[in-house]
Amino acid sequence: MTTLRETAELEIAAAGDRTRHSLALYYRALCGDICSLVPYDDGSSPWEYADTETTVWLPREAPLDDHAEFDAEEWYQVAMTHRAMHRTLGTFDLDLDLDEPLFTRLRPTDTGDPDVPSLQRLAGLFGNSVLGVHIFATCEDLRIDVATDRLLPGLARPAKAVHHGALHERPQPATLFPRAAAIEALVRYSLGGSIVWAASVMHEPIARILSVAKHLRDPRASVETSVEAALRICDILIDLPTEGAHRSTHQLSFADLDTTLDDSRFDVATLPERMRDAEGFAGWYHPVAYRDWPGPRYVGAPAADASLEAFLPLIAQATTAPVHLVDNGDEDTDDQVRGQTTEQSASGSAPEAVPNLRPLVPLVGGEPWADLDSPLTSRAPNEFVYPEWDAYRSSYRPDFTRVRVLGTPVKRADHGHYRALARYGHLVGRLVRELERVRPDGRTISRRAPYGDDLDLDACIDAAIDLRTGVEPSDRVFTDLRQRRRDVAVVFALDLSASTAVVLPPDPEAPGTVRSILDLQRDAVSLVSQALDRVGDEFGIYGFSGSGRDDVRLSVVKDVEERTTPAVWHRMGGLTPDHTTRMAPAIRHLTRRLRDVEAATKIMFVISDGRPFDIDYGQQYGEEAMLGYSIGDTAQALREARDLGVHPYLVTIDPDGADYLGAACDPGSYRVIADAQDLPEALAALYTSVRGSL
Amino acid sequence: MTTTSSDPSITEEPFYLPVHDEVELFTAAYEQRIPVLLKGPTGCGKTRFVEHMAWRIFGQRTDAPTQPLVTVTCHDDITSADLVGRYLLSGEGTTWLDGPLTQAARTGAICYLDEVVEARKDTTVILHSLTDHRRTLPIERLGETIEAHDDFLLVVSYNPGYQATAKDLKPSTRQRFMAIEFTYPERDLETRIITHEAGVDEPTARNLAFLGEQLRRLDEAGVIEGPSTRLLVHVGGLITRGIAPRRACDVGLVQALSDDPDVQEAVTQVVEAVFPA
Repeated sequence: MTTLRETAELEIAAAGDRTRHSLALYYRALCGDICSLVPYDDGSSPWEYADTETTVWLPREAPLDDHAEFDAEEWYQVAMTHRAMHRTLGTFDLDLDLDEPLFTRLRPTDTGDPDVPSLQRLAGLFGNSVLGVHIFATCEDLRIDVATDRLLPGLARPAKAVHHGALHERPQPATLFPRAAAIEALVRYSLGGSIVWAASVMHEPIARILSVAKHLRDPRASVETSVEAALRICDILIDLPTEGAHRSTHQLSFADLDTTLDDSRFDVATLPERMRDAEGFAGWYHPVAYRDWPGPRYVGAPAADASLEAFLPLIAQATTAPVHLVDNGDEDTDDQVRGQTTEQSASGSAPEAVPNLRPLVPLVGGEPWADLDSPLTSRAPNEFVYPEWDAYRSSYRPDFTRVRVLGTPVKRADHGHYRALARYGHLVGRLVRELERVRPDGRTISRRAPYGDDLDLDACIDAAIDLRTGVEPSDRVFTDLRQRRRDVAVVFALDLSASTAVVLPPDPEAPGTVRSILDLQRDAVSLVSQALDRVGDEFGIYGFSGSGRDDVRLSVVKDVEERTTPAVWHRMGGLTPDHTTRMAPAIRHLTRRLRDVEAATKIMFVISDGRPFDIDYGQQYGEEAMLGYSIGDTAQALREARDLGVHPYLVTIDPDGADYLGAACDPGSYRVIADAQDLPEALAALYTSVRGSL
Repeated sequence: MTTTSSDPSITEEPFYLPVHDEVELFTAAYEQRIPVLLKGPTGCGKTRFVEHMAWRIFGQRTDAPTQPLVTVTCHDDITSADLVGRYLLSGEGTTWLDGPLTQAARTGAICYLDEVVEARKDTTVILHSLTDHRRTLPIERLGETIEAHDDFLLVVSYNPGYQATAKDLKPSTRQRFMAIEFTYPERDLETRIITHEAGVDEPTARNLAFLGEQLRRLDEAGVIEGPSTRLLVHVGGLITRGIAPRRACDVGLVQALSDDPDVQEAVTQVVEAVFPA
């Protein structure tokens, strides 16, 4: 059986799982959203792993058996497609006020405060019960799968096989209490099933459920159709017993049922009261593995760590205002989240730091540094292998780290660059003036050029003489006037380790705003690069993070020879904190990048919030040796850069930075910023100073 | 050195389906002789649009210039002499040769500077007097200033997302143009374009357009430069000639869009979701 773990072990061996990476890209192509794809172990309860806006949970192993007519790759593709199509086909864009074409509207005209998002009002239609949300989600699953078959015909065969496999996994309804048996019939129908075992007394409610659910197969069905369907189905379910089971069951074919819809029997007006506190599926339900488990985002919350059960009471209280939960993903800029953080600041209580990403789960068994000395190789054009300096052995470990160069997601909604300019714009003009004083100007003239603006008189005379004497003249008879090339190239490397998600204390100069260390790094680089763009200095912006020696990630916001476009600033907003800080490989790679750039002066700024750290960075010498090892390697990488003509500067906002950097680094190669809030101004001043001194 | 091309005989209408109101805008600009700036991603139809408009303007006219459309593909080595003209050395002395810009200004053609930001800023400054009320082109080396023909129009294009060492147009240049922004066509329109250009059946063209729409989301992510309509037409052409759709997408799209194996894998998965085996 091929599993995600095996795939990872074979192809990656540590983080940056390429399978997950390509699946995440596939997801993004289908729905346009960024996601982190995280595996969960077998035996875990799926309801503990409900997807959020930015995190997709998938079982570590695809549920294959001897009868499966699909492979693991197909199973994961179907699972990711299902999740992506929820986004594309509007599950989370519900508008309760919008009509739909397939049902007579039973939704109440007044569904609550129109300022509260529709998804947050949804549960109220079902008495804020988990059951209502689960039935809505099942209706959506049905609608999404049918629509996916239409939209993605290439996926039809594996999807059908996966649905078929899921159908085989279903429990026997005969063992379930009547309400659960009816739900099971709905789930089977949603998976393309055609029969169910049920007691005779269940035929009528199942027929009524299918009379509603069949509308979700219509191409015109929308998420609002699912709400109408869920209301009717819940109206049927809520009157069915939740205990006992019918002993006598027989096979019921869906095709034999009368599924004519009779709307006159539904009583939606009293439904909220009748459904109050109705339990969802979790107690008895066997989840459909390829589908996402309905969590809080199905009621309008992007939260990652709250269960639907925990969140619904909050929803119930939200009669006048939207409910907010902070998402721990990277799309945390929506208005709801901003609203909440501002409120927290205003009330004086410091907001909690953006939670760290999930703990690192080693993809290979054993300690991450157990396989210490094996050399790494580059497996793709965007991967680069570098040595590492072992300060305790005073020698290099060859081919010891692998840097993977990645694009940075564009976050179009992010206007951080422009906010930074609004805040620090006064510094840009001054910085530009100062930099222009050291900017090379003028032009160079190339004589005897093959092409150019004007004839070169001397060359013309020579050519004329050649012509008269019968010698073939040279065609290099022009002068070529060229602007002198810019002579500075600078790169900024931003630390993207998880600690940069930490929110800074409130800034008295900007009350009500909450900013993380990464925000501040972004502001600083935005400010300086705006000035560089105006004076014409070449610059590049990169972020670095990683999780292990073979997974150092370098995110390219702007490559050093790339033109500055608005997309660059949107990419800056797409940087997210992620894992650890193995600084030296990033320095080595950027040194290599600068080596390929034509410029007389090459500068590198590495901006960090603390000491270098990684999961396998000197631990083999013991915990106390880690700092010495990592600083030694970093200092060596800085020396290598200088040897290759690059001027590197390490800028840290760690107040204790001088304690450990001073021992290993040249005094001129690092700068400690005592107050993190000063970083933008300090970086601008440092850049001016550096430019003036070179 | 310039890369110029011109079709002296635009006798047939170049196929073009308007995306928005660009035909009306261009026509109005031409009537006022307002220079036009076309912005848009690669392969979205800017050049075809200019060819189409040149046909609309000159195709039926008996007094049309011999070369109604003069196209210059700009690059960072282009000089003002490449556009305006230069003296060449001959056995008898020197001979003046008009550059494409001068030629278009003299004859009343449309001069189309493709990817204009690739040219150096000091080069584009010579466009200034041609693009305001003066409509003149000073030629220092001849010691003369020519007045642009009444029919002359300058059109430039660039791709704001394209990576290049050159910078954006200077504001003093940019503000002389009326800008028309191009995007990739909507799915229905792109389907018609692919059907027409590649000769592929409508369902296949629709699938290709849908595929392009999905993959352009990776462009927004900065992962790839999204597939252009031109690329989709090429894939359609392969399918028309009997190549299986998945294989045609592999060689025409997957390999063309990225060398990164992870990205290729993701693009392949999207292709396989759209086209059955």
